Amino acid sequence: MKRILIIDDAATVRMYHRNILESIGYTVEEAMNGIEALEKALQEPFDLYIVDVNMPKLDGYGFLSQLRSEEIPQNPAIMVSTEAAIHDQTAAFRAGANCYLVKPVRPVQLLTHVRLLLGEESK
Amino acid sequence: MAFVKKQVTETVSEDERKQNRDCADLLVGLADANATTRRWAARDLVDCPGSATALVERLKIESEPSVREVILTSLTKLGDPSAIVGLVECLRSEDAALRNEVVEAMKQLPDDVAPIMQALLNDADPDVRIFTVNVLESLCHPDVEAWLIEVIDHDAHVNVCATAVDLLGEVGTQAAAAALTRLKARFGDDPYIQFAADLALKRINED
Repeated sequence: MKRILIIDDAATVRMYHRNILESIGYTVEEAMNGIEALEKALQEPFDLYIVDVNMPKLDGYGFLSQLRSEEIPQNPAIMVSTEAAIHDQTAAFRAGANCYLVKPVRPVQLLTHVRLLLGEESK
Repeated sequence: MAFVKKQVTETVSEDERKQNRDCADLLVGLADANATTRRWAARDLVDCPGSATALVERLKIESEPSVREVILTSLTKLGDPSAIVGLVECLRSEDAALRNEVVEAMKQLPDDVAPIMQALLNDADPDVRIFTVNVLESLCHPDVEAWLIEVIDHDAHVNVCATAVDLLGEVGTQAAAAALTRLKARFGDDPYIQFAADLALKRINED
């Protein structure tokens, strides 16, 4: 069973993404900021990360940069943000994101990218 | 006889204050090549009225996290109109870390930022409106719920409304119920708004 970590400071957003992912059988864990996410990922790396940009303590860019510098399996990350500007997307890819989705994210859109990045297009 | 732990009184030499605490010298120190000097300058400038503009200008280019933190603390303590204007200016920064730090700093200034909340919630930039709603999250102010209702009734941007709904799910009362229902109708095809508004309504009705 693939494990996915949702990192977002908004509880409602975490719950929304969790419902979508659990509905087709993924195992989901949550973190409220980049620091908590990094601790969880270092303990046991996840198969995929869904990362919000704006979070207190350590934002999404900071989390991804630090994650990518660790000697752990470098699994894919989807960055999710309210900001659609090119400079935000460029910063996300520079930090180590594999995909950038602008909120609000529709269930089909999220699942399509999750499946693609996990190599499960037929799921 | 109880064991008495020896008090350690040594200071870390690397972090000793080396500069004069005269305001003019502190402003010079804010641009010093040494981060420790900049940190001390930022800390001591809190006693220099009128230093907020210089602190904000430094904040925009400062790359050392510990200096940024001290600058934000000093701006929060200063809390004067220049500090507030400077913080709002930083909300428009392309630097996500800076924006987040500024949101956290503004949350510490409820009385000072409250008068400008209405203007910020009507800013032309939806990102600024979203950050303003984020500031409201920890703002212990009696008008917070009314401001959020205003947002979900009138803001045209789905993500501004979504951020406001998240917060109404935590602080909303029956006063917000009708507006949440109107929001669901206004963004009838958005799954996130439907989910978040239903969740907020459920919590409100449970209370």
